Amino acid sequence: MRTRDWLAVLLGPVLLLIGWQLLATGLEGKALLAGPVEVLHWLTQNIGLVARALGRTLGNAALGYLAGNLIAIVLTGIGILFPKLLGVIGGLALVLFCLPLIATGPILRSLMGQGEGPQITLAALAVSYTSLVTLLTGLRAVPSAWLDLVHVYGRKRFAELWFVRARAALPYLFAGLQIAAPAAFLGAMVGEFTGAERGLGVLTIRYIRALDVAALWGISVVATVVSIMAYAAVGMMARLVLHDLPPVVLLSSPASGRCGKGRFRDAVVLVVAVLLLWWGGIRLLGLNPFLAKGPLDVAAALTWSAEASESRAALFLAFRQSLGFALPGYLIGLGVGAGLAMLLVLVPAVVPLIMPIAVALRAVPIVTTAPVFVLFLGRGATGTITLVAVMVFFPALVACIHGLRQAPGQVLDVFDVYAAGPFRKLLYARIPAMLPALFAAARMSVPTAVLAVTVVEWLTTGRGLGSLMALSASTSNYRMLWSAVFLVTLFSVLSHAAVASLERHVLRIYAPEQVRQ
Amino acid sequence: MQGITCIGLGKTYRGGIEAVSPLDLNFSSGRTTALIGPSGCGKSTLLRLIAGLEEPSVGDVRVLGQSPAEQRRRAGISVAFQDPSLLPWLTMQSNISLARKLARKPPDPARVARLIGLVGLGGFEKVRPAALSGGMRQRAAMARALASDPQVLLLDEPFGAVDELTRRQLARDLSPLWKSQGTTTLLVTHSVDEAIMLSDRIVVFSPRPARVVADLEVPYAAELGDGPEFRSLKDKVLTVLSASAAMAK
Repeated sequence: MRTRDWLAVLLGPVLLLIGWQLLATGLEGKALLAGPVEVLHWLTQNIGLVARALGRTLGNAALGYLAGNLIAIVLTGIGILFPKLLGVIGGLALVLFCLPLIATGPILRSLMGQGEGPQITLAALAVSYTSLVTLLTGLRAVPSAWLDLVHVYGRKRFAELWFVRARAALPYLFAGLQIAAPAAFLGAMVGEFTGAERGLGVLTIRYIRALDVAALWGISVVATVVSIMAYAAVGMMARLVLHDLPPVVLLSSPASGRCGKGRFRDAVVLVVAVLLLWWGGIRLLGLNPFLAKGPLDVAAALTWSAEASESRAALFLAFRQSLGFALPGYLIGLGVGAGLAMLLVLVPAVVPLIMPIAVALRAVPIVTTAPVFVLFLGRGATGTITLVAVMVFFPALVACIHGLRQAPGQVLDVFDVYAAGPFRKLLYARIPAMLPALFAAARMSVPTAVLAVTVVEWLTTGRGLGSLMALSASTSNYRMLWSAVFLVTLFSVLSHAAVASLERHVLRIYAPEQVRQ
Repeated sequence: MQGITCIGLGKTYRGGIEAVSPLDLNFSSGRTTALIGPSGCGKSTLLRLIAGLEEPSVGDVRVLGQSPAEQRRRAGISVAFQDPSLLPWLTMQSNISLARKLARKPPDPARVARLIGLVGLGGFEKVRPAALSGGMRQRAAMARALASDPQVLLLDEPFGAVDELTRRQLARDLSPLWKSQGTTTLLVTHSVDEAIMLSDRIVVFSPRPARVVADLEVPYAAELGDGPEFRSLKDKVLTVLSASAAMAK
């Protein structure tokens, strides 16, 4: 890059820092906001403490990252070799991805005891689905002529995988590893929120209780910088290996090519598999029945037990409260992300200013900064909805900008021939080209929004499902805790499926090659 | 001698689009047959059916007395596709050697080097496909198809992206290679000149769905090109093609 380009890239972050400092100075005494100078001061004074905690969190995240990615690679390989299993493998991975990490943490803690197990497991859970879907996209994005070449010599799926698919998917593998790096950090930190002994998440809980604003902002800054660095480091490794940037991956659904009947059969098999794994897992591992509740326990808690109606009422009240925050935040995040992307296309001069920040912040697990958001914006609806919106906003913005750039050059040339202005080009060529990206972001943001809202509720607001799960964990009401996990997961999976169904209709018109049978 | 036998072989795609009408055809072993016809008439589909890359809707095909799947398992078939389909991460030389790996045959660097020389790509061995022109890629794909020493060679417009002079040169250099080894070759082409120069027989197809409208032997004298036999046969093929196109309208 030339010096001028570097200056353009650096200008955005510098302006952001200046704005942050001015805001902190202006709001001093009125809002719980620490400026960059105060944060830097706190960090220099507590460098040893932060370094030790960071080392622990990074260690757990790295182990989870390794485990989650290995699981994803193995499952993807099995799915490619045995395509009939693909729907169920993708579905199981999605169910795991939709588990509310915040409630899974205490359950794992109660089952695995003290130590690093729950943090590592949560980090693995946080990365496995995105890595699986990204890798699967790459393994399937192979021209059919390359596969014909293998088939002509009488070779089958393994040779396809060995000679063609595995190498062709390398850029996608790296793209998945890149997305997974900050996600593993998020998983480890959320695990620490729920009862660990050491780590950045533990420090966060400690400083929330002490209302130490500078410390909370300091930890959030560290989490942000580490996430961006992890994301950038994997990107650099990809460049070294591939001599190119990893692709911007629009995550396709593992079963996107299946017909209606096939999808229904997959759904039935998936439900049976989930129930069997849930029930069988508890039995096989010999877990304490007081802590580990099976499908029948949850069914009893919600339907035929003496306290069923009371439990249902508490759960649905909390569900309504959470939905009241998650849905507006989700829609605002998507809308603002897509809107800003379109605006940036109309005013391309500001793209170099905003894109580096957007790409960097997309890598940040915003949930780890939840406490400072709520401190700054308050414990009411504004803080929670804003956090959900921000969490959804950055991936939507980056995906939509990528999508808007996918409008074919020849189509744009046709508009140029008729001297059509940028607005007409946007309306008739770029927005249709953006839709697949927007829907991919919308689908993947469903569990993200649920995670964001439950974390804020767990940590600060005292309302909704997150708070109910925190209360259930602290009072050892494991029936309620498992019921809440079941409800949240079911809601996330169904919402994900609903967006995916809408996406399929849109793709059939605007990107038919992505829904080929 | 067993060659390739199509017995009532036909293909209809989903939605009722008939690509190939049921055909009865026999391609003798060790001979080169050109399949010629208008664009989209189903020639490539016929080639894919013979290679076993697509399942026929009706009928059957036998390749050297066996099913295409069995013949593929024995690495008896090789195809040069319309699209060169070179793997972008391999060098040109590795792309050509890949055919032997896929065919489970021992490496033969001498054969690969000879083929690279014959297709005029000497000096580009270590170059990746992205740095080659369209014509060079197609020549590399042709060399790859020959590298596994196949018994049946299916060529789907293998010289489509190659300029006229190189095309003639390649035809002159490569056809003796497969002819001397007794390879049964099917060549899909749009070029009547190429069909006459490279093959022993020309089968002319109607517009979609493919039906045989002429089946012509190529006299040796015509293969040399530009003589009276060549011009007479070329006129005959063009007349049949025009007549069948007019009937289709």
